[in-house]
Amino acid sequence: MHRFLRLSVLFIGLFSVLGSYAADAPQSEPTDPGIEGSAIDKAAKEKSDGGDSAFDAWLSKYFDSDPDNIGPVVKQPIEFPHFRHAGDHDKGGMEINCMYCHTYARRSLVAGIPPVQKCIGCHENIESVRNKPRIKKLFEYWDAKKAIPWKKVHDLPDFVRFSHERHIQRFIFQLNRPVQEVCGYCHGNVKEMTVARRQKLLSMGFCVTCHEIQHPVTAKDGTPIGDQKYWYSMRKPIIDVSSDLKAQGPNDCWECHK
Amino acid sequence: MNNDFNRRDFLKVLGWGGTAVALSGCGNGMVESGKETVVSYVETNDYMIPSVSVYFNSTCAQCDAGCSIMGRVREGRVLKLEGNPNSAINRGKTCGLGQAGVQHHYNPDRVREPLLRTGDQGEAISWDKAYALIAEKLKGVSGEEIAFLTGGVSGHLKVLMGNYLDSFGCKNHFVYEAIAPAVVRAANKKSYGVEMPRFNINKAKVVLSFGADFLGAWVSPVNFSQQYAQFRKGVNGQRGVLIQVESKMTITGANADRWLAVRPGTEGILALGIIHALGTATGEVAAAVKGYDKERVSRDTGVSAEQIDKIAALLKARTPSLVLVGSAAEGYAHGSQNAAAINLLNQVLGNVGKTVEGAAIVPFPQMMPATGNTVALNKLNKGLNEGKYKVLFSYATNPVFTAPGAMKFKDNMAKAGFKVAFAHYLDETAMQADLVLPLDSALEDWGTQVPEYMAEGAQINIQQPLMEKLHPGTRGMGDILLALIKQRGAADYKNFDDFYAYLRSAVLHNKGALGGSGVADDDIFWNETLSKGIVKLPGAAHASLSARSGASGLSLPAPAAIDAQYPLQLIPHVNASLRDGRNTNQPWLQESPDPLTTIVWDSWVEIHPKKAAELGIVEGDIVEVTGKNGSVKVQAYVFPGIHPDAISIPIGRGHEAMGRYAKGYGVNPFQILDLVYDKETGELALHETRVKISKTGQRVIVVKDEGPVGGNQEGQKIVPRMTTDKVNLSKEI
Amino acid sequence: MSISTLFADYSQFRHRHPDGDVPHNPYKWAMAIDLDACSGCNACAVACYAENNLPVVGREKFANGQAMHWMRIERYWDQDGREFPDQGARYLPMLCQQCEAAPCETVCPVGATNHTPDGLNSQVYNRCIGSRYCSSNCPYKVRYFNWWDYPTTDNVWPAEMNLQLNPDVTVRGKGVMEKCTFCMQRLRAAESDAKTQGRLVRDGEVQTACQQACPTSAISFGNLVDPESRVHKQWRAQQVELDKHEQAKDEEAGGSDLRGYRIYEWLAPYPSIMYMERVREIAI
Repeated sequence: MHRFLRLSVLFIGLFSVLGSYAADAPQSEPTDPGIEGSAIDKAAKEKSDGGDSAFDAWLSKYFDSDPDNIGPVVKQPIEFPHFRHAGDHDKGGMEINCMYCHTYARRSLVAGIPPVQKCIGCHENIESVRNKPRIKKLFEYWDAKKAIPWKKVHDLPDFVRFSHERHIQRFIFQLNRPVQEVCGYCHGNVKEMTVARRQKLLSMGFCVTCHEIQHPVTAKDGTPIGDQKYWYSMRKPIIDVSSDLKAQGPNDCWECHK
Repeated sequence: MNNDFNRRDFLKVLGWGGTAVALSGCGNGMVESGKETVVSYVETNDYMIPSVSVYFNSTCAQCDAGCSIMGRVREGRVLKLEGNPNSAINRGKTCGLGQAGVQHHYNPDRVREPLLRTGDQGEAISWDKAYALIAEKLKGVSGEEIAFLTGGVSGHLKVLMGNYLDSFGCKNHFVYEAIAPAVVRAANKKSYGVEMPRFNINKAKVVLSFGADFLGAWVSPVNFSQQYAQFRKGVNGQRGVLIQVESKMTITGANADRWLAVRPGTEGILALGIIHALGTATGEVAAAVKGYDKERVSRDTGVSAEQIDKIAALLKARTPSLVLVGSAAEGYAHGSQNAAAINLLNQVLGNVGKTVEGAAIVPFPQMMPATGNTVALNKLNKGLNEGKYKVLFSYATNPVFTAPGAMKFKDNMAKAGFKVAFAHYLDETAMQADLVLPLDSALEDWGTQVPEYMAEGAQINIQQPLMEKLHPGTRGMGDILLALIKQRGAADYKNFDDFYAYLRSAVLHNKGALGGSGVADDDIFWNETLSKGIVKLPGAAHASLSARSGASGLSLPAPAAIDAQYPLQLIPHVNASLRDGRNTNQPWLQESPDPLTTIVWDSWVEIHPKKAAELGIVEGDIVEVTGKNGSVKVQAYVFPGIHPDAISIPIGRGHEAMGRYAKGYGVNPFQILDLVYDKETGELALHETRVKISKTGQRVIVVKDEGPVGGNQEGQKIVPRMTTDKVNLSKEI
Repeated sequence: MSISTLFADYSQFRHRHPDGDVPHNPYKWAMAIDLDACSGCNACAVACYAENNLPVVGREKFANGQAMHWMRIERYWDQDGREFPDQGARYLPMLCQQCEAAPCETVCPVGATNHTPDGLNSQVYNRCIGSRYCSSNCPYKVRYFNWWDYPTTDNVWPAEMNLQLNPDVTVRGKGVMEKCTFCMQRLRAAESDAKTQGRLVRDGEVQTACQQACPTSAISFGNLVDPESRVHKQWRAQQVELDKHEQAKDEEAGGSDLRGYRIYEWLAPYPSIMYMERVREIAI
């Protein structure tokens, strides 16, 4: 009787293990699209030399523009419309740069939430929406000099140290990728949302997927890509199966665990 | 079904099942959404970047050395204190006590509201009511009937205090410090013309210290420690030599090249013996040391004749040297004579003007530190006993804890009409008060401070808040004084809303003398001053030392005979973390092992192995230490670094109040001290208490950091040591 | 995961000195502690408590040997049978030696402790399952286990004390191992700032908490592979090499006249801390 019980529990366990592994069947390692151009931004797409389908496929697998809505809906004190502020012109948005409000992303671990002063800075001059209900609520906070108690949506565990600065510095300032695309890698297509909702898994595996990408060290014509500043903090290049020198991102535990 | 499915089987099934579930994984439950709030502001200034620290400078208030600190502030909270590199006193370094300053600030046992005593309870009242009560109690009271008891004070707070007392015509400002180099100050005044000269340890080739624990708790340990490091690196490539003479090993003694266990009280005799052995004394000095030949000195002190010769030879060969006096002065009824003899050694060796120099003078005498002594406490005690005082104010001192029990200070204090304590915590003295007014912590308050020991140049330390007030009910001492002064005369200080305004105005008023003559804009100068955290006074004059030998009139008593009934001499020793017990409620300090014994969280009595064997005492025995004025029960620790005729109990523990981290830990040796005073200054002679020890039959395990082998390397090369003849220091950077 | 990985040869991953994908480029953090300057004052130990959210365990737990002082000062006496310790004591600041071939790294059953490219021995709290094999293997006994739940059950940081906690350092729960990290939160912050400015961290720009507090400046810390750094110059002047477990200078006849040494060097963990021997004057 007990033997049967144990065996059955063991088999159930084994099946679930196999099942979960089947779901995450290993796929071929994603390759880096390279420094030049990329992506969602149409202009950049035109600039690059046409071999986009592989990259598009990769991009859509990992950074799909359709919301995954992995996280729960988080009710914020004011239902702030990102689509109005950051959205495209042709959809009625103002295309405000993410970092206009989330200012600290380029120089701090956190991107930061704008102080009420930032909102008021524009809104005190926008008469046309002054009496909308949410704007009125905004001004209530301002007049009472009370900070808006925004809830944290992308709240990583306390033992993780994620540096926005490093990622912004690399992707936006070093690799010249467009801001919305870079923020979108992890935060999804925020310009289609009102308040933020977690779109990506943000698990260690999610981060490590990018850090495992094999970057070619030299271009097709043999010239080295990037200088010492570009490569430092990447792992030492290794020769991969295709006999090319490739390097991967940091995998030092203490880069991200504190 | 056979129901022998027992607990073991159940656990086995759970185990298999658990493993299976674990292997299958279950998504990312670690990222929370919507549970916590984000750091959110209404308005920000441009240096406030979340996750980036901002540093503000202030002054450490954990002891009176006046080191400057830099507080690391993030999101409006001070997290850690570092040293301020701008200060000539500590130059960017801190001691463990200074690090614990954040625990003084965040301590859960801080008083948060004014408390009024009703019977045995304290009732929280409003500040208005408290001020009104004080005004009422002061009505019709003359200046002679008011007493103001404080610890050491300096800077603008001292000025305000003086003004408040003047408003009554009250001259009764008693400054009391439980452990202070009071006898040394008086002796220095006699020998050098100044109370606290500047000691250049880093210029000396030999430092001979008679109980001056300059690496531990004496005067300005962080400054002296830095000088010590330079001293060891050497003057002209020759490493400095440290000789420590004392009856109980301090941390300075533990770092000495030679530690001499001298018979308690005979340090002065040794000093004269060394002068005699130098053979260079003439005239008055020669007359004073006649008869102090090395055989006699060796008999009296316990230091061998050979050792005396070696010391004399070393002092002659390596100049300049520096002779310091510490517990040799503070410990004995003839302490002043000891100090005079020891200071004489500096004169004879020609150190005055080289390693003993005049310090820079801060040209604002009203701000200079008011230093404390027991004479003041005695005077206050006498007045209290006579029922002289209708109102007693108490600030920054805890005599109910630190005054010897025989003084009966607690009983006498009860005779005062109305007792007000300005306090951070309900310490023993605050517990006896009728009204307790809660203070802003040192990290929340404004002020200026002039340190007693001035390192290079003259400086005034600035104290500024490192964050917003933690508890809305506390007030800064300066603000309280201003409010009290305005009670007396509304016209006074009417231009100043608060202490900050007063301070700012006072500093700007003296801009020129404070180095701001080149800065036209007042705001810029003030902001720069706050930013630096100190004001350096350019071109400050230095005190000049007068070389008075004081050899005439030098008369040292013979070594004390051993009292048959109380055969041991009790040395209550000061350790760097706890000092006089004002910081005992900071848990980092309670858990910081004593450098000599590694004991934590408790008191102990150090007994030399020879004496312990004689008395049959082993480590952990609870012994009763009994003197004429009481007894304490404490665990024994067999310790080789003490003279066999002495025992030592640390001061600072044995609190009966002051919060959860202080109360109930250890014993307070202050309570059982004999009232013996230095003949010349009237200061309490700390080492003159005679005691006996008896076993109680109880034994405990001593809680300490060292393991059972206690300081033994067990033959391993863990901390080897090289001698100067074998080591080559020339290639070091 | 497969059966073959269980049988793979893992000894190839034992880092003896820098090699493979962890090359000490551009940083290798190391320390030099001058024992002649160390006065045993414990300022470094308290600074470490402040910086790294170390719990104060209280008297009973301290008695059980469960103290959490990542930096501790050990005090030794001369064993010469004399009546008094008249040559003083010897103080030794003992902290994680960040060994290059750390005995703790190889035995963790879950891989919670590893070696970083900048030469530190890392400890990942959330991976640790508390087997305590690592501390058992450590020859210096500088690993400390959280036997109790200090933040919650023991309430070591009651209200307002919790405001002092350093947000850059995890507050450890029950059942995980911890140890000195060479203040890696400071290192990462300094490296990040330097990287944003396009340069490497300069010598003296980042200090560990213990180094910053030490009143005698006995602790020197920096990048060992930077030839301009103080720590590099000290190691070189003392002729101590990181990747040797026996130094050439010790083979000289009569022993070396230099003070630098490492503790338990012969066990070949290749520690990253060099101590400089205490000196005693023979003229007195």
